[in-house]
Amino acid sequence: MMKSSKSRRGGTGGSDRGGIRKRGATRTDRDGDMDMDAATSRARRNRTEASRAALGGRISSGGAGGRAAGSGSRTQAQAHNRNVDLIQRAIASTDPQANFRQNRRDGGKNKGNLDTFCVRGWKSSKAASNKDQGREALVAFLERRMNSSIKNGPRIRITQVSPTVATVTLHASRRLPFSCLFVLGHGPFLDDGQRILGHFGALRMAAIGFQGPDTLLVSIHHDLADKMLRINGNVFAGVKITVDPYNADDALASELAPADGAPGSTADTKTKMLAILDKRYFAENKLLDMSDLAGDLDLQEMGIFNSTSTESKFFPALMKVWETRYDSSAARREAVESASLANNNLSNISVVTTLAQAVPDIKNLDLSNNKFKDAQAIIGWRWKFRNLVFLDLTGNDFSSLPNFKDTMLKWYPKLQILNNVQVRTAEEVALQKKTPIPVQPPHFHDESQIGENFVRAYFVGYDNDRNALIPNVYDNESTFSLNINTVSPRSMNSEAVGWSDYIKKSRNLDKISHLPARMSRTYKGIDRIREIFSDLPPTRHPDLTTKADQWLIECYPLPGLPDPSGQSPFGVGGLSLTVHGQMEESVAGKLELRSFDRTFILGPGNTPGGIRIISDMLCLRAYGGHDGWIPDSIALPQVAAPAPNAPPAEAPAAAPAVPNPPAGYGLPGPGKSDTQVQQEQIVAQMSAKSGMTIQYSEMALVSNNWNAEAAWGNFEQLKASGTLPPTAFLTPS
Amino acid sequence: MAPATEDTLTKVSTEAATEFVQTFYQALRANRESIGSYYDANPQTIIFNGNPVSDGAAVQDIFVNQMPPANFEIQSYDCQIVNPAYPTTLPGGGLKPASEMGVKDMSILILVSGAVRYGENREQPQRGFSETFVLTPNPSAERVRGRKDFLIQSQNFRLVV
Repeated sequence: MMKSSKSRRGGTGGSDRGGIRKRGATRTDRDGDMDMDAATSRARRNRTEASRAALGGRISSGGAGGRAAGSGSRTQAQAHNRNVDLIQRAIASTDPQANFRQNRRDGGKNKGNLDTFCVRGWKSSKAASNKDQGREALVAFLERRMNSSIKNGPRIRITQVSPTVATVTLHASRRLPFSCLFVLGHGPFLDDGQRILGHFGALRMAAIGFQGPDTLLVSIHHDLADKMLRINGNVFAGVKITVDPYNADDALASELAPADGAPGSTADTKTKMLAILDKRYFAENKLLDMSDLAGDLDLQEMGIFNSTSTESKFFPALMKVWETRYDSSAARREAVESASLANNNLSNISVVTTLAQAVPDIKNLDLSNNKFKDAQAIIGWRWKFRNLVFLDLTGNDFSSLPNFKDTMLKWYPKLQILNNVQVRTAEEVALQKKTPIPVQPPHFHDESQIGENFVRAYFVGYDNDRNALIPNVYDNESTFSLNINTVSPRSMNSEAVGWSDYIKKSRNLDKISHLPARMSRTYKGIDRIREIFSDLPPTRHPDLTTKADQWLIECYPLPGLPDPSGQSPFGVGGLSLTVHGQMEESVAGKLELRSFDRTFILGPGNTPGGIRIISDMLCLRAYGGHDGWIPDSIALPQVAAPAPNAPPAEAPAAAPAVPNPPAGYGLPGPGKSDTQVQQEQIVAQMSAKSGMTIQYSEMALVSNNWNAEAAWGNFEQLKASGTLPPTAFLTPS
Repeated sequence: MAPATEDTLTKVSTEAATEFVQTFYQALRANRESIGSYYDANPQTIIFNGNPVSDGAAVQDIFVNQMPPANFEIQSYDCQIVNPAYPTTLPGGGLKPASEMGVKDMSILILVSGAVRYGENREQPQRGFSETFVLTPNPSAERVRGRKDFLIQSQNFRLVV
């Protein structure tokens, strides 16, 4: 590949490359500064090639992203392209952002968290008169700037790795296409798209692409995000450039805007999108119905389908707008239990992949009647939707593959109903969660309710007035430090809330090895604790009484603590208090949800309450829910309400997996607990009253915590809205 | 003894924590017969998922005889000095005299965040865990190879994801 790039260099290359040459030929592929006219023809075929690269090819074939495809396949791809419908073209257009996000997810499950930034403003710089509109100079500038703030460790180096992953709009003559892909890295020279995947987990990496006439997209590891943001406002070739977090809906709005960039168009696009979301969100069923998008007249009217570029951006943008509907991620997560992308003619998920960020906790997902032909088509969701109970892939070729059921069971550990057939019971789900060490309720050995009173007062104070809290519980011997686990399990399932506010304060000893940093990241004494606390974002912890299940608090006595009076040679006794939970944080005006682990060591002290914190150690990680500590004894997994969308009438009705009711159901029997017998009886009653199968009756009850009245109300609601599939009901015999 | 500087205290505590984290989880994975040697003879509290365990020998017994292979991945950890002059009770009884106290006579709080996969099946889900330790000085003066300067006084393991 590199050879071919070099040989083409002369064509559009340029004389204006003085500043770049020193970095070597690898960066000077002419695709990096592809001129628009030349782009148009090549662009067309690149679109189809890139689309294959972006889809299954990325994972399975070595040459993904390459333009080495022979002319035969090119022709074939072109022919194919003429026939694809709008949505398919949307997928084919390979939005650079989607690519990077895709890479990151597929590349390393827990590694390589990338933040994406837009660099703008450079088009009015002096360098813009360069033949390449100043792109090379800009990239070099960014490289220099980022390195200037790196004192230790490997330096960032920009290496162009894949010149060909290209997206091209139908208006290529008017808009500059995204035309090159760089990877910033210190690792070995990367020479093809495939190897990027393998290296995305490395620390100092970023991907760069150009989007639109004045936007450089940089995807960069979380840990370097603050270095990137620091470039905001810096002067590049005589002008100030801006660096902002990438925002999909802004990007779309600027594309839909008239070429002259009429003001107010962004707001207008958002308004229209909000209206579309209102139309497609059913609060009473917690259903987000994104089925048959191409048939949506409002979307057609917006011109979404007039270009492949806007097609590829509109779904990510829609999801971004969706997020703006909620002022906290907790509220957003709770708003949707079911989502549908049925009837969208999708042959893979690349365009809709951000659904997994917008509604990560859904239990029901309807993907019926698309064109997913194998697991590869939805591989991007391999580690998403960890709470999925119901999945409908009927009407996709994938469903008829022999490994379909096994694969889906493997991917989704809580999956119970696949294509309207029960594939796993609630008990089997519970069994999977079993660990060698049974999960028990918290070990809480308090002394005179000191631990309990402390926790109740502390977190209210921490959320509301840290300054007032500090002198009550800390003294000049108290130590606070925090560490960030950026790669915790579930972090890939949570939306990527960056850690930039924290990373400079994190004392993760695995990463912070230099003594001065280890010292400066220890906050000892009231003044330093005040300093760090005022630097940390405002928080809101859930209520300890009403949301007790979201907390796990353990407590036990600890001897040998320092005696503040200095009198006891044996030291003094105190408490170790360990708290696991979640909190919402205000980050850039938005509430984000994170999980935390925090250990306090409490001892006697000269504080107003006589209790001081000796040690306070906080670990923050991506939101990971609170299922982890549900005791085994009561760990009945939540089963969602039945199918959000009824399967089409012509679909063969799946046979209920459980006979109705099976012999001995509701009667005492060997190995049956009293609870189980009771529950079976309630289920049988529900089934008789509602006409639903045993299986659906049980689901309704489980999802309503065995409250028969609530389950009945839920049933009536679902029945009235027509969301219960025919298979939910006993067939009249 | 002149009071140790903050530099020294930080260096000693963080190096001890690092040494402990790197070796202890390795022992849980692949050297379970050595688990007991990480514990103080009279530990204060040992809890796994809310289950109290009496001492290091009991922990070792559980891991050797009941626990499937477990693969721990340490993702983040931190430590703080709890008591820079920890009152160590000597094996023969009585407190270690102040004249013999050195910079390593501290107790250390460690908080670990990581992931664990039980069983040999790579398809098993990774579970997130959080674990808190307090290490105290090894009261034994014996000079043997592999002697640990610090032992587990208390331990609290929890699956959190």
